[in-house]
Amino acid sequence: MSSLGLATLLASFLASAVEFVEAVTIVLAVGTTRQWRSTLLGTGAAVALLAGLIAIFGTAIAVLVPIELLRLVVGGFLIIYGLQWLTKAILRAGGAKAKHDEAAIFEREIVALKAEPPVPASGTDWISFTVAFKGVLLEGLEVVFIVVTFGASADLLGPAALGAVTAAAVVLSIAALVRRPLAAVPENAMKFAVGLMLVTFGTFWAGEGVGIDWPAEDASILVLLVGYVALSLAGTWLVRGRLRRMHLADATS
Amino acid sequence: MSWLRRFGRFWYDFLVGDRWELFVGPLAALALAGVLVRAGMTGAGVGLVLFISVAAVGTVSIAAALRS
Repeated sequence: MSSLGLATLLASFLASAVEFVEAVTIVLAVGTTRQWRSTLLGTGAAVALLAGLIAIFGTAIAVLVPIELLRLVVGGFLIIYGLQWLTKAILRAGGAKAKHDEAAIFEREIVALKAEPPVPASGTDWISFTVAFKGVLLEGLEVVFIVVTFGASADLLGPAALGAVTAAAVVLSIAALVRRPLAAVPENAMKFAVGLMLVTFGTFWAGEGVGIDWPAEDASILVLLVGYVALSLAGTWLVRGRLRRMHLADATS
Repeated sequence: MSWLRRFGRFWYDFLVGDRWELFVGPLAALALAGVLVRAGMTGAGVGLVLFISVAAVGTVSIAAALRS
């Protein structure tokens, strides 16, 4: 596999793993509070729909849209989406934003589910089905977005899909073993890495889309990545410093 | 109609959310890069401008988040 293929697989794996960890929290909360069979049915239905979306949109976009236009549009979306992930990750790493707490989300979900009507004595529990379906679908749409955009732009739908499937297998296996929210997963570090990769590839592809003739061709991706990593680490350091100064000012006033 | 509104709302939240500058900024950066390419600037030069513009958008957004 080419280095671009490996990078695509890694980005897809990390992004998917983060989203699957969040989806697993919802599935575990529904399954343990209400009924596992309906919860797993809802989860399976959502996963099947997501796989269908990847197959349909991934293939259709790659076949129907000219590559230059595709790279401009998809690259632009990757920059937008990547910056959302990266800026939040920088704020969290710098201490300006609360980190994602899967254990707390799990507790909140359980409280909300206990307020629902009781599980029917027989048949499908549609509340379990719907909550699991909706949770997995919403988290999974971000995975579909990343897999389709990465895969279609680089003509690497296979590695992108493989990354997502591997992430699903790893996260679900661990969740099945431990049977509690995966709170120990370094979600913010993973989001930081994914944000960097999305912004880097987005800049490269959108740049090609507007007509930039990148010097050193694909090697420019590495230069962009190094630049964004350096600026992001500096940004984290500056956010920490700014917060420290604000706390000092509050303490002395 | 309400389904259409919810659909539009979902995509707005998905792509724009509460950080509109992260949506508008990259589009403006790409428009600038396109103009510079057509003006005959070198690939390295436009690439550098695009990189700096994207980084500036992120910096502005983080500064705005810290202020709020």
